[in-house]
This record gives sequence, C-alpha cells and structure tokens, in this order.
Amino acid sequence: MPSDPAPLLEVRNLRVEFPTRRGTLLALDDISFSIAPGEVLGVVGESGAGKSLTGAAIIGLLEPPGRIASGQILLSGRRIDNLPPAEMRKVRGREIGAIFQDPLTSLNPLYTVGRQLVETIQEHMPLTTAQAHSRAVDLLKSTGIPAAESRIDHYPHQFSGGMRQRVVIALALAADPKLVVADEPTTALDVSIQAQIISLLKALCREHGTAVMLVTHDMGVIAETADRVAVMYAGRIVEIGPVADVIHQPRHPYTVGLMGSIPSIGDEREKLAQIDGSMPRLNAIPTGCAFNPRCERAMWVCRERRPDLIDAGTSRAACWLHDATVMGDRRSAPDSATAPFGGDQITPALRQGH
Amino acid sequence: MNTIERLAEQELPRAPRPAGPQALQTGGAQATTERPLVEVDGIAKTFDVSPPWLNRVLERKPRLLLHAVDGVSFTIARGETLALVGESGCGKSTVARMLVGLYRPTRGSVRIDGHDLAELSGPSGQALRRRIQMIFQDPYASLNPRWKVAEIIAEPIRVHGLLTDDDAIMQRVGELLRHVGLAPADALRFPHQFSGGQRQRISIARALASQPEFLVCDEPTSALDVSVQAQVLNLMRDLQKQDGLTYLFISHNLAVVHHVADRVGVMYLGRIVELAPKGTLFETPQHPYTRMLLDAIPDIARTGRSRTPVAGEVPNPLNPPPGCTFHPRCPHANERCRREQPQPRATPGGGQAACHAVEEGRI
Repeated sequence: MPSDPAPLLEVRNLRVEFPTRRGTLLALDDISFSIAPGEVLGVVGESGAGKSLTGAAIIGLLEPPGRIASGQILLSGRRIDNLPPAEMRKVRGREIGAIFQDPLTSLNPLYTVGRQLVETIQEHMPLTTAQAHSRAVDLLKSTGIPAAESRIDHYPHQFSGGMRQRVVIALALAADPKLVVADEPTTALDVSIQAQIISLLKALCREHGTAVMLVTHDMGVIAETADRVAVMYAGRIVEIGPVADVIHQPRHPYTVGLMGSIPSIGDEREKLAQIDGSMPRLNAIPTGCAFNPRCERAMWVCRERRPDLIDAGTSRAACWLHDATVMGDRRSAPDSATAPFGGDQITPALRQGH
Repeated sequence: MNTIERLAEQELPRAPRPAGPQALQTGGAQATTERPLVEVDGIAKTFDVSPPWLNRVLERKPRLLLHAVDGVSFTIARGETLALVGESGCGKSTVARMLVGLYRPTRGSVRIDGHDLAELSGPSGQALRRRIQMIFQDPYASLNPRWKVAEIIAEPIRVHGLLTDDDAIMQRVGELLRHVGLAPADALRFPHQFSGGQRQRISIARALASQPEFLVCDEPTSALDVSVQAQVLNLMRDLQKQDGLTYLFISHNLAVVHHVADRVGVMYLGRIVELAPKGTLFETPQHPYTRMLLDAIPDIARTGRSRTPVAGEVPNPLNPPPGCTFHPRCPHANERCRREQPQPRATPGGGQAACHAVEEGRI
C-alpha cells in the first residue's frame, strides 16, 4: 500500500492525556499511523473512541487541559507536535486544512464569506487583495457554488447548510494544503447533500493531490471515500488496513461486531448483530485489551496483557487471536491465528439473533 | 398483567377490540380483511410564521404560512411497521406529532381503530391516547433529569390509572425494565447515570408502560452509535413480535428503514411522493426523488463506488415551487410538472407514486 515511500503525515506513539482532579485520563493511547501523499485515510469509531481527538492533536487544536503526553507527529518529516503556537498557525491552513462538522460554527457570522476567504488566502500566500479575491471566486466556483461572483459578498447565514459546507471546504483548500483533516464533514447534512459534499471533497482532493484524514462514524461514507481505514476503540487503534478488507474481512472482533451492526440496503437479515454493553469510560478502561469484557472470544491473555497492532492478513489488528505464539499454545497449527476470522466462522463469535 | 388488561377494557367501552371483518384494503403488501389500526386521511398542518401584527401593519408585510404537511394519507395495519423517510424539513416529524395528538391537523383526520383523534376529548380521548405512545429522537432531552427512572416509567401508569397500588406499580416498573433489557434495580437511578442507548431503552419502557398498541418512533436511533443502534433496533423488533405492536417509524436513514419497515413512505416538502411495500420500493423505485435518494446514500456494500451526485437542494418550504414541488431538481420534468400538481396513482408492485412522468410512462 502507498504508505511505504515517504509518508506525508506520520503519527508515532501518540498519547494524549487530560489531567483531572481525580487523576490523569489517557484519552489517546499509543496511536501510530501514517498517511501517504494524496491518500484518504478514514478514521472510524463510536463516540468517545478518540477519533476527533486524534484530528485535533494533528492540527494542534487540543483543548486545554488536554495535552500531548508523549509521541511525535511528523508532517513531511518535520515534527509539528512541539511547534510554538505562532509557528503552528503557519502550518495550519497552509499545510493542513481543517473541515469541521458544523459549517455554521466554522464560519464567522459577522464577515462575508469573501472576506474570510481573502483573509485566509493572504495569510498564507503572497497575493494582492485583487488576486486573492479572484482566487476566492475560483475556489467557490470549484466547490460548485452557483453565481460565485455575487455569492462571495454574502454572509454565512444567507447560505444553506450544504452550501455553507462548500464554503468551508473552499476555506480549507484556500492555501492548497497537502493534508486536510475533515472531522465529520457530512454528519450535519441531509443524505442527498451529503452525497454531493463527499464527491466534491473526493474530486477536489484528487485534483490537488491533497491527502485527507476523514474522521466519521458513518461507515458508508468511509466505504465510498477512503483508501485505508483505521478503527478506533477506547483511545486506541484496534484495526487498520485497506478499506475493502476492513469492511468485508474484519480481523478484530470489535470491527466484526461493528460491521455486523450496520444495517445495509439489500441485506435481508432478520436481526442485526449486536455487541452487548458499551464502550468503557476513560476512567474505567479494563486492563489487558480494552474490548475484552465485551468480546466473546476473550482468552486469559486478553485480560492480562494489552495487544499491539499485529499483521492479520492485509490489515493490522490489535488482537491476540492473530498472535501466532498465543494461539500456538491452544492450537497446533500456527496458521490458525487467522483462520477463526475467515468467512462464516465469524458469526458464532457474535450474539446473532435467531 | 390481568388487572391491567381488565382496567383497560373497562376504560374502553366504545372500543371494539377485535375489529369486525370489514372489506377494507389496508393498502399494504397483502390485502387483509381487518380494518387498519391507523387511518390517516389527507392531513395537513400549516404553521403561521407571519411577522408580528405591528410589522404587518406598518411595513405592509404579508401573512406567511408554512405548509409543513400538505395532504398526507396512509393506513397502517395491525402489527405492521410503516416507515416515513425524507430529508430534514419534509414534514415527517410533523406527521408523527399529529398522529399522537401533539399537533392538531389543520385539515384532514387521523383515525385510530375507527375513532377520530380530534373528536375525542375528556375520558374517552384519554383512553384512546393510552393506546398511542411516542418515542422521541433525543434520549437526553426526553427524560426528566430530576426524576428517578421509577417515577418516569410509573407516570403513564398513574396518569391512565392502570394501577393505583404503589407496590404493584413498582413491580410493573421492574417488569418493564426487564422487558427492555435493563435491571429492576435501575429504577432507583437517575437518567444521567445511563448511557444514550440505555436511556433510549428507558424511553421505550415508558412508552410501553401504558400498554399501547401503536408506537410512533421519531428517529429513535439517530442520536445513537451504530452498535447501540443495533441493540435498540433489535429490541424494538423483539417487542413488536412479543406484544404485537404497530409502528410508525420516522427516519432519514434509508438503511435503517430497510431493516425495520414493512412499507415505506417517502416524503418531500410535506407530501408523500411514493408509498410502497419495502421490497418494491427498494428494488423498483418509481418516483425520481426515491431513485435519487437511493442513489445518494453511502453504503458499506459499495466500496469505492463513483456516485452520480444529485443536483440542487430542497427548496424553501415557505415558497415552494408550483406544480410538482420536486420539478426543479427532477431530470424528467416537463411543462406539465411545472404547472400541475401530481396526485398519487397506483404503481405495479402494490405501491403508489405521485409523479406525472411515472403516470405517463415517461420513465
């Protein structure tokens, strides 16, 4: 996969913690991944899994008291996690663009969208106001806003939700960044608008060669947009791999359950697979694998030791079931590590309805 | 259990429980002889969003009426799930609220088991309302944070006078909690001590407390994570089987609707543009808007698919386009669509669609 040459973004053993009066909460625990130039990495997980926090850490917008406890974030080989705020401001916008969930709160209601675009462009590019203005019009046109020349003088409230999100995308791409962190860019939108925004984001990023980190809880969006996908659970990446493999041949029991619980048009299951219980709170993360209390395939080792990401087929999964030495204790064939997760044998592991 | 049923019967002297065999088509996949439990006939809701009187007089601003729902008709048979889908602002929640009596329809009527919801007031109205309950979207806003779960679930029991003895009520609350997969001991806790999925279970237990026959579910899972959504959808399906419940399920998520519904109605700007049995609707959608919606949804089964995005957005409901309200976005629109409003017509497969192009066989 494309992560081999020089990755655009590399996150190494990132830990983010929140000091509280009752002790320090570890919100992101040992996150490592990379994004190649032009690649779309999807990050999925349920609320509280830490996916938005990962995005915020990368763009340097962690809300205090949250802080990076250890680990590194490298953009094109340069560390950006320890930059002073003034330096980080230059990176943000110029090299990393950001798109947030709610387009209304991402725009300043008191300024016209043109003024906001021109300001962003001039902040990062040596252009005159007239040049910046014409670039702003071009950007709005490329995001599919009709009558961009006149719409540029309108205020955010004069745009509909979908149009506003187009403006936000134009803002994120204003200075031609190499990476866009998109945090739930379509969640606040209706399905038909959602489709427009996704294809727009895809087309623009392909044109500009921009890499995207797409944070969402919507697997459908990921399936259609991402090249690779990382699945997060309780502050850790439990599985990462090519999107088709993670969706159709999930290796981690949590991913198996997650995929089984998504209703899909065309599947005629009487009941959805369900994972009982809910994700643990940050102050009560179980020892060993964080998923072990909800996992039907949990073994003694899962309660004692925390698994790291290990190769599982074409993906990597943080699960002892894929560890040859652990599984070797129980089975003679060393290959059996992946066997229990091939095809139909997955289902008994879950509480499937009758 | 027996006590409750007896009480319920006492309160409903005018409600013949097993409806007599009347040759009335449900409009569903199969024609049954039984009268449908819910009959909605041409309901409309208009909201007055005019500027204040002084502005109207001084600035000569006109009255402004928002037609949130404009002539919606459907029936739901006993034990059936009808789903209404549509984008925000299409009026699906307004329909839900009219069905439970939270809004009074401007026009049209809602009949539950033959009784008109609007005409009944006083004790007989209350008896009818006991049989209709609603589950709301946001489990954080729909439970009183100052009440314990026991009080929340016991309220409908007390209001409808199903049980009066405190011990019996508490026992019933415990039963209901167990019914939705919680523990009777949870009755002594407050809503903030539960997760989103558990709160939605409490909402369901509260709705079931009055032993309803008809549940209106307004986006019951859209505030929940997928794995929790699966738990709640499975629970709702189990309850429907056990208790023979009838559901009106409102959602914007077509995949969820595909999973739960028997029949599906697609709404656009206050009207039902297509209503058909689930299989027909998803396999051979007729109305261009339904086709567009089905094409637009991202689905995990379709990795790396290139989509044909839909042009345009939902128009402002304050100033809807003339003729068919979908014509500005419709690739098949012609002069007739711009002028004349289409009426629902039967389509092959047991459904109906309101579209000139479908009627004329142009698409």
